[in-house]
Order: sequence, then C-alpha cells, then structure tokens
Amino acid sequence: MKSNKLIALLMAGIIMVLLAACGGSETASSSDTRDAAPVTADDVETPTDLSGKLVIWTLANDLTQFAERMMEFNPNLEIETVVIAPADYPTKVQSALLGGETEPDVIVAEPQMLGNMYDAGFFEDLNQAPYNAQDYASLIVDYVWDVGQDDNGIQRAISYQMTPAGMFYRRDIALDVFGTDDPAEVGKLFQDYTTIMETGETLKAAGYKIFASDGEMSYFSGDAAWVIDGTLNVAQSRYDYMDLAIALYQNDLTAFASQWSAPWYQSMSGPVPILKASTNVWDEAAIAADAEGADTAECFAYGLPTWGALILRDNAGETAGNWGICSGPAYGFGGGTWIGVSANSERKELAWEFVKFCTLNAETADWWIEASGGDVVSYIPGLEKHADDANEAYGGQKSFSFWMEQSEGIDYSKVTKYDQVIGDAWGAAITAIKTGESDKETAISDFYDQVAATYPEITINR
Amino acid sequence: MARNSVPAGPAKKKNINNVAYLFIAPFIIVFLIFSVYPVLRTLYLSFTSYPGYGEPQWVGLANYNRVINDKFFWEALWNTIKIWSVNIVVQLGVAFLLTIVFSDIKYRIRGLSVFRAVFYLPNLIAAASIAFLFKTLLDWRFGTLNQILAQLGVDNPIPWLTSPDIAPFSVAMINAWMWFGNSFIILMAGVQGIPKDYFEAAAIDGANRWKVFGKITIPMLRPILIYVSITSLIGGLQMFDIPFLIAQGTDMTAILRGPLQTVVMYMYDFGFRTFQVGYAGSIAYALFLIILAAAVIQFKIMNKED
Repeated sequence: MKSNKLIALLMAGIIMVLLAACGGSETASSSDTRDAAPVTADDVETPTDLSGKLVIWTLANDLTQFAERMMEFNPNLEIETVVIAPADYPTKVQSALLGGETEPDVIVAEPQMLGNMYDAGFFEDLNQAPYNAQDYASLIVDYVWDVGQDDNGIQRAISYQMTPAGMFYRRDIALDVFGTDDPAEVGKLFQDYTTIMETGETLKAAGYKIFASDGEMSYFSGDAAWVIDGTLNVAQSRYDYMDLAIALYQNDLTAFASQWSAPWYQSMSGPVPILKASTNVWDEAAIAADAEGADTAECFAYGLPTWGALILRDNAGETAGNWGICSGPAYGFGGGTWIGVSANSERKELAWEFVKFCTLNAETADWWIEASGGDVVSYIPGLEKHADDANEAYGGQKSFSFWMEQSEGIDYSKVTKYDQVIGDAWGAAITAIKTGESDKETAISDFYDQVAATYPEITINR
Repeated sequence: MARNSVPAGPAKKKNINNVAYLFIAPFIIVFLIFSVYPVLRTLYLSFTSYPGYGEPQWVGLANYNRVINDKFFWEALWNTIKIWSVNIVVQLGVAFLLTIVFSDIKYRIRGLSVFRAVFYLPNLIAAASIAFLFKTLLDWRFGTLNQILAQLGVDNPIPWLTSPDIAPFSVAMINAWMWFGNSFIILMAGVQGIPKDYFEAAAIDGANRWKVFGKITIPMLRPILIYVSITSLIGGLQMFDIPFLIAQGTDMTAILRGPLQTVVMYMYDFGFRTFQVGYAGSIAYALFLIILAAAVIQFKIMNKED
C-alpha cells in the first residue's frame, strides 16, 4: 500500500509539473520614462553588424520583405518570419505567450487586436531603457503613434505605415459630369451624406454609378465613438450613414457589387454590368448569368484607406493613371500593422533593432515607398521628403501630401475595443432594412438587444 | 511451469501492481491533462470574468444568471433543437429502414459488410469537405439539386443554404446523411445479437414480418435504441462544424443571431470573437446541464415502456 501511495504521489507530482509548465507567464510592464532630447532622423542609422536569430510572427508578407532587407545589411543576422492568417493570429500569439514561449521575438497586431494584446501584457514596454521609444515620437505621424500606446500612455508598438481613408475617384468621369477633376472640387461632392446622394443622382442621370457598392462610406462612418464612458453612443452620424447606405441601395445608385467581391474589383477597370440586388456576387457563375444582357455602367469612386492604392494598382487595368484622390465626408482610417517586441522574448534588444529598422529608419522608409508600390509610410521625415512627389498614377497629384493632411484629422480617441462587434451588428441592421427583411425600428431594436447581450457592461439608453 | 515458479506472497503482488501503474500512467497523465483539467478549468472559469489573459476575476453566479436571461442563448438552443430534431428523425428512420431490410431473413441481402462500409463512409469524411460538397450540390442557382428540379419544371431555384427558413433543414439533412450509417451499424449489431430462436419460434407460430418487428426486434433493441438516441442527443446539441461552415460567406454569420446559430457556435462567439472566456465557460456548463437533463428524461421515458 505504501508503494501505491508513493506512485500515486509521484504521478500527481508529474502532473502538477506538467500543468505548471503549461501555465502562466511573466509579462513586463514597468515604465521608466526619461527626459532626453528627442531623437532626430539623423540619429537612427541602419545597423550593419547585428548577429543572432530573430523570430517574427506577422500578418502579411510585408515584414518578410523588411526582414530580407535587414539581413542584406546584416549578413550574420538570421530572421525567421512566420506569416499567420489574421483570423488565427490572436489565438496563436495568446497560446504561445501565455504558455511562456520565448519565441516569437517580434509580434504585430492590427488596430482592433491591440487593446486586448496590450491588456494581456504581450507587448514589451518600449518607453523603458534601453528602448526609450518616447524619444522617437516626433518621427511618426501622431495618430499612428497614439494607436501604439496602451491606456496608460506607454508605447507598446509602432507601425511603419499610416492608413487614413480617402475617396479614390475617376478623373475622366469627374470631367465628363462635373467639368472638373480637381481633387479640392471633387472633394466637395463628398462633403456630407446629403451631397453624396445628390452626386449619386447626378451621376445616375449621366449613366454612371457613384459607387460599385453601398459600403464605400464605411471608413468614414466612425466620426463618433461607439462607446463613451461605458455608454453606447449611437450618434446621429451613424443614423445618417444607415440612411445613406439604404438610400444608395434602394435608389439604384450603386452597381450592387459588395465590397471585396469579384465584380467590385472588376468595376475599377471600366464598365461593368449593373447587377441585380439579388445577385449572389460571391458566385462567378451567378454573376455571369445575371450580367448577360444587363446594362453596363462605370463606377465613379471608392472610399478606401491608403492601401486602396495597392488595390487600384492591381485592378485599375485600362483606367490606370486616370485616378485622383480627395477627402471624404469625415476623417477615418482602416487597418495597418503595428510592430512590437514580445514581452517573453530573450532577444529583446535585437527585436527592438528590427522594430526601429522597419519604422524609424529613413533609408528603410525610402526603400519601402518604392518597393511597396503605393504604401504610405508613417515616418514623418520620409513623408516630408516625398511630399512634393507627383504621383503619376493619380494624374500627377501630390499623394503623400494629401495623406499627411488626412492623417492630421484622425482622432484616435474615438476608437474603442468594441468597434468591430458593434459595427458588425450595425451593419447587420442596415442589411436587414435595405433588403426589406426588417423594418427600421425592429432592426435597430435588435441591434440594441445584440449589443446588450454581447457587452452587459455597456449602459444602453434606447 | 512459469506460473508455478512465481512464488506467492504479498511482496511480489505489490511489484505486479506497480508495473501495471506504469503501463496505465501514460493514459492517465494524458487523460488528466487533456480531459479532466480542461473540464475543471472551464468550470472554474465559468464563475469568473476572464478575457483570456491575466488573472480571472471571481464573479460567482453572475455568468449563469446572464445565461438564464440571455434571449440569444435560448434562441441558439431552440435553433439547435430544431436542427437536431429533424436530423434524428431522418437519421434513425433511414437507419431503421435499412436495418429492417438487411436483417430480414426472406430478403437475405448479400454483401452486408460492403453496404456497411458504404453507409458509414460519410462519417469518415472531414466536415469541411462535406460542407464544401453540399455548398456545391445545394447552391441556389447552379447546384446539382436545383438543376435537376429545373429539369423537372421547378422554375424558381430553391435557396437551400441561404434562406433562413430552409437552411436549418438542409443542415439537418446533411447531418442525418453523415450519421445514419453509424446508427445503422449499431442497430444491425443489436439485431444480430438477438438470439435466432425468437425469430424461428415466431415464424413457426405464423407471426408476420411487422409482428416480428414490433414484438421481438424493437423490444430486444431497446437498450441499443436508448444508447443511439442519447448519444445522438449529446452529439446533436453540441452541433458546430457543419452549420458553422455552411453559414460562412452568407448573411447568416452575423454575431449572436441567424437561423444556423447553434449553442456551441454561440459559445465560440464569446470565447474567440469577443474574448469573454468566463461567459463562454458558463454557456458550456449550461449546455452540459441541459444535455444531462434531456438525457435523463429521455432515458426515463424510454425505460418506462419496458
């Protein structure tokens, strides 16, 4: 019996050790701010003598290119880049870091993931020595810098790009219908939702469609925070956006091509068949069947963040070089990748060198503007250097200058961790109304119910 | 000889027991880590507020109170029950029919093992493949089924997987197709386990096919039927993969709602989309209690008729 007990104890011990190994992790959080002169662009040099290994978990191929570039300068440096689908990324990082894994050394996040990852302590405090990130604040566009801070104002991550939203429009259509393709003048056609409806009607009368989809204003609809001091805030601008989306749909002002569907991409290159509202735009055969014999129209504008330039680059086809960019009805931004150092990393200083190389290095910014073929960096000296560059893809427009202006209007305090889910629920309400599945009152009531069920901590005043 | 050579005595017995512990240790360790620990950990988390990181905050029964008052949870449960009910009727109905046909002495159908393998095959295919297969077959405009119906004169294509009214039934039928082979194998094993004397005696007494089925086969199969229906109930109320995959890419993926939103999908939304792990844990245990209660009631009802 004694030996039985001994074995039982032994097994229990083994299990406890195994469970402990699977358990918690240490996370760094201390802040050690210091008073020092701000770093200038000249102070950040491209490192050439780094050695060792770095593991990076990222969301897109961009960082693979950055890593290759850094290894070119540092032959003794080995960087392993793992690209993980955005849907899987938070879970994978969470499992690794809560499990105490010391790799990856560098982790990234999109804006909607950042809040939870800050709270979890996954990102190293970059304000403390030896990083002293706060000294570099003047080198990065304000809103991008702010997004990289946690609730306590501690810098946790920095992005190499900025993503303000703008209206990408066809200059030839603007000239044909409105007699001008000047971005300042065209911007007035999108200055508010009432004007957008009028613009849509004018374009419809001229045989065009203002938008391919009714979702082109989505990046501009966040002019008010969804949650203020713990209370749900359905601002008038949300209702205005709802009314606009419904009116665009029900008045046949769009080509009924959902954003990101094949017809939506195709509409950038020229005339597309005007689909029916009921067409399944995710099914190529259904599109082909409905397109047969249908009227065609050209679509005027697309509301997208800076990376819309990359989409146009790949899909503009014969309309390439015939585009302009102007401001939308509000300021907004969408997406972007923020890079930070894993709190569990055992190679934090090397990881910080990588973050600096990607985000705070003049040479890298120059190279990335060229290599990406349209991405807009967040590095202010780089933007200023290229501010007067005439962008041939946009009729010689000074696109960097335009994006800098747009970034200045972004108020990051309006972004909350609830935005994704509440925005989805609001989108579902809009869909229900515009397709006639539900009346407005019921759809909005359902929306409130969903928010209440999902986030009981939010106060809802109906 | 070997047995005789082992000296008897308490000391040696202990050694034999110890070796046995070593043999079962791998299973016990894996079982404790991957089964017992998650179950107990989920129970603990269900009493906490836990966003998936940091220290869970104890909230007592608040999460369970929230489950009880959450109308979307009950909607999801009702969706699940609707899908499962249609599924189980079709699944057991087809399995029973095939059991009758294959066990009938008069038909004497050959190649039972081949049929068994063929019927069981859908159960071996990955759910993702099945979802893809049926999305192709049941596509509202170009799916094979609607093409056949069009040939037969049905003008309007039926939105099998996208209509909120029809999609739950389509999912139920897909599930029934996946699982009827499993039920068939179990029922056939049960039928083959019934002593042949009963059937022979019934044949001598002149009992017809339906009498044999009603008076001998069904009563003798009752334990098997209880097993099949209870395991189906447990599996059915935990339905996730097929409705989740079918709903992808349609308007039915909106968080918290939609006719294909099952309880486990609802739990998934909280666990992995809004990171309310504690609440997701309480949904898991609420579902466990519901399944337990339903299984007990089902067991009592089916046993009562004995």
